[in-house]
Amino acid sequence: MAGAREAAALVTDVVELAIHIEATPATVFRYFVDPERLVRWQGIEADIEPEPGGRMRIRINQGAVALGEYLEVVPDERLVFTWGWEGNDGVPPGSSTVEVTLTPEAGGTTVTLVHRDLPDAQAATDHGAGWTHYLARLQVAGPGGDPGPDALASGGS
Amino acid sequence: MDAQLKALADPTRRTILRLVRDEERTVNEIAAEFAVSRPAISQHLKVLSDAGLVTVRREATRRWYRSSPERIDEVRQWLGDFWAHGLEELKRAAEQEEWPERARRQRS
Repeated sequence: MAGAREAAALVTDVVELAIHIEATPATVFRYFVDPERLVRWQGIEADIEPEPGGRMRIRINQGAVALGEYLEVVPDERLVFTWGWEGNDGVPPGSSTVEVTLTPEAGGTTVTLVHRDLPDAQAATDHGAGWTHYLARLQVAGPGGDPGPDALASGGS
Repeated sequence: MDAQLKALADPTRRTILRLVRDEERTVNEIAAEFAVSRPAISQHLKVLSDAGLVTVRREATRRWYRSSPERIDEVRQWLGDFWAHGLEELKRAAEQEEWPERARRQRS
């Protein structure tokens, strides 16, 4: 277990979540790769190419667009994609990675989501304002909401 | 947020944040890394401090500066909430697709 603890200590800036869903991995997987299903839980508009090297562009709400690239796509099992915010120098596409694993369990699916390589302590200090700016817009507006003009996107500092 | 954005807009201040990331430093130690004057560095530190990006610890006549680790916790917290909310919506939609009858019964 010492190895695992060391690894955990090295990768400090990670969000890790798991949820059990009473649906098959095949059904759950479609909610990641079918744009129409994707926007039922994530964002309001999705333009995605779910294959390795394919691009991902998800309009989260009127104020924020997530951009990324698919690195791994294993049907019904696993997705890995990069994640960043459009127009935000602090967190450009490719600056962090999201790994999604679907595991059949108890007749359903356990979804594990790990968002790693968040800005390290330095990047967070340099760019924390950028992150906070976008994340605040996400929370305040919610899917489909309108947080108003984006001061960062329009080039203000 | 404006204060933080303005504080981060200056390259000297970003370099200062890098210097005080892993260890506390005094104004003199920080100023030694730059060609600009010590008062100028003091002014930059005040801007960073006012924005909450560095913390200051006073010890006798010295002030020790260090970048504030709360920022990364804030980012992690926000992102965690963001994904948690999304996954709950995903659960609801996928279960409804596979169990439409049950979803109907639960609604009625």
